Amino acid sequence: MAIFDPTVAPVPEPDENKNLRGINADYTERYGFHDAENYLYKAPKGLTRELVAKISEFKSEPEWMREFRLKALDYFLARPMPTWGSPMLAEVDFDDIHYFVRASERSERSWDDVPEDVKKTFDRLGIPEAERKFLSGVGAQYESEVVYHQVNESLEKQGVIFTDMDTALREHEELLREYFATIIPPNDNKLAALNSAVWSGGSFVYVPPGVHVEMPLQAYFRINTESMGQFERTLIIADEGSYVHYVEGCTAPTYSSSSLHSAVVELVAKPGSRIRYTTVQNWSTNVFNLVTKRAIAETDATVEWVDCNLGSKLTMKYPSVYLMGERAHGEILSIAFAGAGQHQDAGGKIVHVAPNTTSNIFAKSISKDGGRGSYRGLLEIAKGAHGSRSKVVCDALLLDEESRSDTYPTIRIDNDDVNVGHEATVSKVGDDQLYYLMSHGISEEEASKLIVNGFIEPITKELPMEYAVEMNRLIELQMEGSIG
Amino acid sequence: MTTIIDVCPLSELLPGQKRLVRWEDLEIGVFNCAGTVYAIEDRCTHDDGPLVEGGFDEAACTVECPRHGSLFDLTTGKPKTLPAYMPVDTFDVIIEHDTIKLEVD
Repeated sequence: MAIFDPTVAPVPEPDENKNLRGINADYTERYGFHDAENYLYKAPKGLTRELVAKISEFKSEPEWMREFRLKALDYFLARPMPTWGSPMLAEVDFDDIHYFVRASERSERSWDDVPEDVKKTFDRLGIPEAERKFLSGVGAQYESEVVYHQVNESLEKQGVIFTDMDTALREHEELLREYFATIIPPNDNKLAALNSAVWSGGSFVYVPPGVHVEMPLQAYFRINTESMGQFERTLIIADEGSYVHYVEGCTAPTYSSSSLHSAVVELVAKPGSRIRYTTVQNWSTNVFNLVTKRAIAETDATVEWVDCNLGSKLTMKYPSVYLMGERAHGEILSIAFAGAGQHQDAGGKIVHVAPNTTSNIFAKSISKDGGRGSYRGLLEIAKGAHGSRSKVVCDALLLDEESRSDTYPTIRIDNDDVNVGHEATVSKVGDDQLYYLMSHGISEEEASKLIVNGFIEPITKELPMEYAVEMNRLIELQMEGSIG
Repeated sequence: MTTIIDVCPLSELLPGQKRLVRWEDLEIGVFNCAGTVYAIEDRCTHDDGPLVEGGFDEAACTVECPRHGSLFDLTTGKPKTLPAYMPVDTFDVIIEHDTIKLEVD
């Protein structure tokens, strides 16, 4: 994603190129650059027991974490690769990946102390600027580790913790250990097992009871090396009656060989709290993005996932919410763009465990230039969850004959005292829609953009203003040259 | 109706050991946690995983489902981690004349 300065207009491009450009057409100049490798340590390719132990040793971790990693490695090795999802999964070569790259000695609290090369990258992506303007805190991860982390001083005084996971393990071990891997255990699935074995970086957030973090906290993830694996791990705990909005974004250079991003994200929303977690995923199209995200919402708590997937070669990601306490609410807004060579297998899961819980899943996908967008979702209402209500809406828009859309919705209801609605649509931008708009003097390209903007508007309006502007800009770029 | 079934002599299930018992259509996992014996239905509430085949932590008195990793508290049957969220059935254990017995319904 771009963290950007909204006052600076993007560089205009020559008109004659416009019709040739497609999804993320300006990716290379905006995000696809890479820096010279000047690393403190770069593991050779491949995953071994020795490497896992070495990562733990590098980080001076307690013995329980070392054991946790080694056990997770056994789980990873014992599990077969999933056969569902996407045929592209078979292309992931676990032997052709660097599992750990250390770019900096430690996570800094001042941009001035971040190594020059790394700082230049984040300057180019506009992060220090964004931090000054509209964020409560920023974390920046480069390769395997977080190189910069800072949180607003007044929040720190109120007891808010926003730091990288490695630091949290050192400084808040007991708090971290209480929740770590309780939402996503290491043997949950093959990729969660991999992350558990080699995790590095990611964010740790704790918001004390009653504290409202008004401006978002943001983490930015950057891969620079070719054939790199990034395995950050994030844990957010919102204590009773608190509120936090966490935003993450990610980009990488475009290489001919594949990289792997496999994160684990766990959210704990205590009674009466609210967590909003926004992702704008814009990896380059050589990245496999295989992520496990799950949350629990206790009594009267709300968890919202706003999940935007623009980049990557293959994304498989289904953020989920377990509604554990009465009147808890879960919300998933998912948007995916699949362009040439891309498969976005996205969606969400909601599990109603407690009575009188409510949820919504709104998923939108747009496929063009032969891309494939899939919605995969689960709505489960357990036996005891009487009086629960849920609505699932998944819509797909196809922009040409070559593109593809699939829907895999699963609904399980063990209760007859509930209200569940499910709607699904697949539409193609039709000649009649274009003709109607063009008859009002709008060009074909503009008409197509209008239709797409209208299609995704229910989701972009949920983004903070700065991100909504950026999303709309990206969408406009993606739409260029889509007609004719 | 409650029935009492024999499992094995106490000497055959030492601390840290576990075993599977079948009774009619029930499969029950029996675990010795540091001298106290606990019994739970051998079926994870998430995806029917065979719990007896999972990792048994005697010190913590937990068992980990081998299918998706949910950790169950053997003393209560409650899951300590997702993805399971419902407890497994537990069975009362009786030690009589150095024999482990279970109360089953």
